[in-house]
Amino acid sequence: MNDEVGGNKRRARFQALCQSLRPDLLRFAFWLSRDRALAEDVVQESMLRAWKARDSLLDESAAKPWLLTIIRREYARTFERKRFATVNVDELVAQEEPMLAAAEEQDISDVRAALMRLPDEYREPLILQVLMGYSTAEIARELELSGPAVLTRLYRARQQLRAACGEDVRLDPQE
Amino acid sequence: MTDHTHYRSAIMSDPHDPDPDLRAHRDSCAECRAFTEQLLRFEARLERALLVDIPVKSVVLPFARNGAQGPRRWMAMAASLLLALVIAAGAWLTLPQRSLAAAVVAHMAGEPDAWLTDAPVPDADLNAVLKDSKLHLKPDAGVVSYASSCEFRGHRVPHLVVQTPSGPVTVMVLVHEAVRNPKQFDEHGYRGTIVPVPGHGSIAVLMRDANPGSGDVERIAARVDNSIIWTR
Repeated sequence: MNDEVGGNKRRARFQALCQSLRPDLLRFAFWLSRDRALAEDVVQESMLRAWKARDSLLDESAAKPWLLTIIRREYARTFERKRFATVNVDELVAQEEPMLAAAEEQDISDVRAALMRLPDEYREPLILQVLMGYSTAEIARELELSGPAVLTRLYRARQQLRAACGEDVRLDPQE
Repeated sequence: MTDHTHYRSAIMSDPHDPDPDLRAHRDSCAECRAFTEQLLRFEARLERALLVDIPVKSVVLPFARNGAQGPRRWMAMAASLLLALVIAAGAWLTLPQRSLAAAVVAHMAGEPDAWLTDAPVPDADLNAVLKDSKLHLKPDAGVVSYASSCEFRGHRVPHLVVQTPSGPVTVMVLVHEAVRNPKQFDEHGYRGTIVPVPGHGSIAVLMRDANPGSGDVERIAARVDNSIIWTR
């Protein structure tokens, strides 16, 4: 009886936790995969894995990074299973155009289109930094990179994005 | 010694890097200050661009159990709802404070026109901006020279510029951003504070560092807080 009550309480807590984080997890998975349907599948599968591995979450305040790691691994597994040889970015952009163009302002849609075309190795640390609020050290730990490597990727990500949006990216104003 | 190249590389990696050497370079170089303001405007666009709208119902929680019956089911649902609210509130309150301050600075840098005038905004325009946040200002609040209802972290919030004896200050009323304690910040030439308003989220007050005679930003924030009349 006590076990059942305890189990129900745990389930309720875990469900509430996942519910509150679900919007952020979906956005993260979308920008990781650039494919809404795939993002939904990955988050769905990740929730199941998270529930099965719930005993490994010792501190609820660490739930978000814990779930993000599960999502990254699940996305990597999906990628391996389907053995995608290449990703046609133009097709992805066309496929997701209704959602990308849903922004009221054109300049936001332009940034979204540029993000879609950003290489994975630059897009992922940028999402972790800007969308998820990770520090450089946290990104380095999550992506298993050195701190300077993370900073280089973040620099290149912004340089490419801003250049694609017609912004000044000169390092030397005299150039 | 930081040069243009080092400075720009560093802030392109982290636009909110608080490194004092970077700040010293920015303060002494008008070109890099302008570059930073442009970068922060872009950062505000980037943050909004990342907030794509995906309906959460597209993902069901597979561990939700359907077996509970009758009153037990309702009690379980009520408990879940309560827990969701507690956890969501807890998560909200533990969000990094620097992140909120950085978002406020980035948003403000994205609307440089807000500082350009000191002429009062017509009452009708001001009331339209404040209406949705269920508040109005006392007549002694000072001249409001800019009022806009802005999208900020997924919500529409009033963004005001109020003319005070210490110069113009930007005020953002963040009904959806609860903070535990007052948080001072000093980023990219803007000084400010985010103060909690129990039951109504928080208020961010910012002023430009270069304001001649700029006073105590906390005192101004308290005055702004006292000038608000909540209607809910």
